[in-house]
Amino acid sequence: MRLRVWAWLALSSVWLGAITGATRPRYGGAITVELSNASILLDPMGARGHLSAPITETLVRVGARGVIEPQLALAWQHEPDNKRWRFSLRPKVIFHDGEPLTASSATPALLTALKRKYGDVTVTAGGQTLIVQFEHAMPNLLAELARPETAIFRKSDTNPMIGTGPFRVTAWEPGRRLSLAAFEDYWGGRPFLDSIVIDLGTGSGRADVFDIPFGPTRRVVPEGTHIWVSPASELIALLSANPQSTLLQALSLAIDRAPIVNVLTQRRGEAAFGILPEWLSGYAFLFQAAPDLAHAKQLISQLRLPSINLTYPAKDSFARSVADRIALNARDAGITIQPTANPGGSLTIVRWPLESADAAAELSRLLGLLGAAEHAASIDPANPETLFEVERAMLEDHRIIPLVYLPELYGLSARVHNWEAAQKGDPFRLNLENLWVDQ
Amino acid sequence: MSFRTKVFLSITTTVVVSVWIVASVVSTLVTNSFERQDTQRTAALVSQFRSEFDRRSAEVARRVDAIANSESVQRLTVNLGASKIDTAQYYDAAQALAKEQSLSFLELVGPEGSIISSAEWPARFGYKESWLEQPVDWKAQGVFLQREELADGPALGLMTVRTLNAADGQLYVAGGQRLDKAFLDSLPPAPGMNIRLVRDFDAPPPSDTPASKLAADLIRDVRQRPRELSLTGSDVTLTAIPLLGRDKQLLAILMVENSRAELANLKTYIQGTAWIAGSAGVLLGLGFSFWAASRVTQPLLALASNVRDVASGNWDARARIDSADEVGQLAQDFNRMTEQLVEQRDRMIQAERVAAWRELARRLAHELKNPLFPLQITIENLQRARQTSPQQFDEVFRESTTTLLAELDNLKTIVGRFSDFARMPAPHPEPVNLNQVVQEVAHLFDAQMQAVDRPRIVKILQLDDNLPLVPADPEQIRRALRNLVLNALDAMPNGGTLTLRTQRLDGPVDRKVALEVSDTGAGLTPEECARLFTPYYTTKQHGTGLGLAIVQSVVSDHEGTITVRSEPSKGATFRIELRA
Repeated sequence: MRLRVWAWLALSSVWLGAITGATRPRYGGAITVELSNASILLDPMGARGHLSAPITETLVRVGARGVIEPQLALAWQHEPDNKRWRFSLRPKVIFHDGEPLTASSATPALLTALKRKYGDVTVTAGGQTLIVQFEHAMPNLLAELARPETAIFRKSDTNPMIGTGPFRVTAWEPGRRLSLAAFEDYWGGRPFLDSIVIDLGTGSGRADVFDIPFGPTRRVVPEGTHIWVSPASELIALLSANPQSTLLQALSLAIDRAPIVNVLTQRRGEAAFGILPEWLSGYAFLFQAAPDLAHAKQLISQLRLPSINLTYPAKDSFARSVADRIALNARDAGITIQPTANPGGSLTIVRWPLESADAAAELSRLLGLLGAAEHAASIDPANPETLFEVERAMLEDHRIIPLVYLPELYGLSARVHNWEAAQKGDPFRLNLENLWVDQ
Repeated sequence: MSFRTKVFLSITTTVVVSVWIVASVVSTLVTNSFERQDTQRTAALVSQFRSEFDRRSAEVARRVDAIANSESVQRLTVNLGASKIDTAQYYDAAQALAKEQSLSFLELVGPEGSIISSAEWPARFGYKESWLEQPVDWKAQGVFLQREELADGPALGLMTVRTLNAADGQLYVAGGQRLDKAFLDSLPPAPGMNIRLVRDFDAPPPSDTPASKLAADLIRDVRQRPRELSLTGSDVTLTAIPLLGRDKQLLAILMVENSRAELANLKTYIQGTAWIAGSAGVLLGLGFSFWAASRVTQPLLALASNVRDVASGNWDARARIDSADEVGQLAQDFNRMTEQLVEQRDRMIQAERVAAWRELARRLAHELKNPLFPLQITIENLQRARQTSPQQFDEVFRESTTTLLAELDNLKTIVGRFSDFARMPAPHPEPVNLNQVVQEVAHLFDAQMQAVDRPRIVKILQLDDNLPLVPADPEQIRRALRNLVLNALDAMPNGGTLTLRTQRLDGPVDRKVALEVSDTGAGLTPEECARLFTPYYTTKQHGTGLGLAIVQSVVSDHEGTITVRSEPSKGATFRIELRA
């Protein structure tokens, strides 16, 4: 009997050891990542996406709950007029080439990024202190500094991007491949993975991590692959060159978003009735409305309707599918819409990736894209109602007709661990530093 | 129109008409042949179209069968049986299947008639395809034409439908191939032929050409009553073949266009050749007319010249006889006729001479007999007085000699008149004012007309102020006018009115003057008018018959004319016309 007890205890220990061993992070190993976008760049200023996230860091970052957290800057202060900001840099941070992070080494990248957007900025370095001075008030500077465009990095003849992030660049073939290696001296501790290889413009589905773009031609997903869906991270909307028209009102009523969500996004997307998604604004449900074809027909019954060209982004098969469906909905209401990839249509389908978890900052940015930047002045980050009012005004004159929010989809092989936790940080960047893999 | 012109026109007309007839016959034959060929080619093309139609129908049926039996569709059918299946995952299935089977159209339609997936219009998922829900045995229906609505407009397709039994109903697999330009292009091309598919019957014609209008007419007729129909225009023949759908509704019209350009070119060539031949005919006619003139019309022209010679007084003219044909016979007859005319003329002249001599003898006898008889009586009285009463002889002698002298004077006067007539001199023309001559002559007779011992005669002068000068011998004109006035006065023994009238005559060719002398006497009978100007003819008791003969002689010497118009009891008017 005692022997049996000992034997049972021994087996339990082995089993428990195996269980705990399977869930405990392991150092080492490499993963491959496949991204379908071949035009993605290293530079965070790249208009079509960038790969700087594991390599570079910003002074601050947006946390999982949308709150600004310290990153390379440990503390900050600002004058009451929000024109002068002082940042104290994190000590003992070094770049991938071994140079320590100081205010002087951080200044060039920061100044370039800020000057590109704000001409009246000066950055003064003093030891580990950076003083950023604007001619005008900058209450949202922290949100701006959390954006990857303001990341601190340098370039050399041999290294296209020298940052302070958990991975360093070992090889970069634009449009084809990025090879990264773990940065042993990372201030936050060495990442679990030894290396990462990111292949661009491929879609074999055999990588450890691969993105799944939306579109009629779906990527073949191998058996056992886990699909991870991000929160809504991209807005697809209809823009009009001539807002405030009865025709747009009728079109807005005629569009049925449910088939777009259910079929075209395979239920991955989310019907968009507002500019910001529900998870970001918290009030998007207030804009929800069911399609009303009868009302749409009534509105246009007295109109002489020309054929309308609807421009969708060229080579974007998903956007084309959306455009076709909208044309079909419009046709049911008696509106003739001709989808086209040629620019110049009076209606345009846009795909706007969301870039910030700060609702006020994101809405301001989207208003700028919408050509209504002047409305951003009405936004008070401390008062969410101002966001709602501004957004409602935009929707009521049908300057923009939101259609659908899209998440990002990634296929994950079974050997990849800690993905969910890794992505809880900034939802708009590919966070690879906390992953680990079975070997 | 000259004979030569007639010959020319005859030959030209003959040639042109002949050419036209030949050209028309050739053109008609070519047209008929071309149209026969046209019809045969159209029939061949239509036959090829139908063969291709049948072949493709079988192909469509085979491919749709393959899709219906494919693993993915079978799996879909099975899954449709499962409750709460999400058909969204199949929304792009039709595109892959259609691509695999090279079909233009493919729709997977669920039991409720909602489109699960559409290859031709992927965005239509979820929409109802109500025509599939009709109670039709789709297998027996086979392949049919169907009008499919697409995003860029309606299209025509060769469609077939297969049904698969799912748990809650049926899965419809509707597939087909587009009937479009590519389909038509697959037909064997025929030179000069063009075929197109008309789907939009109300579309305005692409151009304002006759062919477009012809096509519009054809489409209208076929729409009213679908049937194969042809219309022929100037440059194209159109044949319309109606393409009917499952319910016999007209879905499209296959328009076969046969160019008639080749025929038009051929006709143009024939017309050109005809024009050249016609022109050659005209030239030939011209040349032949000259030849005919020399060969045919020359004897006639010579004969006509002979006739003109004879007419102008050359009685010796004779036609030359060069042939024994009708023209030669005509020349011979002309010569014989001319000889007869000369003989007749000679005989007539001789007869007239005899008659004139007889008339002269009669007149002389008459004129001389009157004074001779008193001479004879007077001489007999003298002889008798010498014998019977010598004492009275002297007195008788004196009276008798007086009488003899008077009668001898009378004889001399008579002889003088004849002598004057015989001695008519040639005129010496000079410009003469005829009105002045008339006034002078009229003035000579004033005393006579106003004599108290005779009935009064009223003189009226109607003289044209615009009378031109006349080239004439004034003395002879005065003499002629005096004779006419004298005659007029003699014609009015009981008085009356004498009218002298001049008038300017402007003719189309020349200018003349007219001089009329009218009286209101007893007038003349037509017989008297006919003989009035014959020498020695008179209607008067003591006239010599030479007055009017002298007038006619004067007028004739001045190349003028004299006429008389008269009726009994209505007076007479003598009219002289002279060239101005």
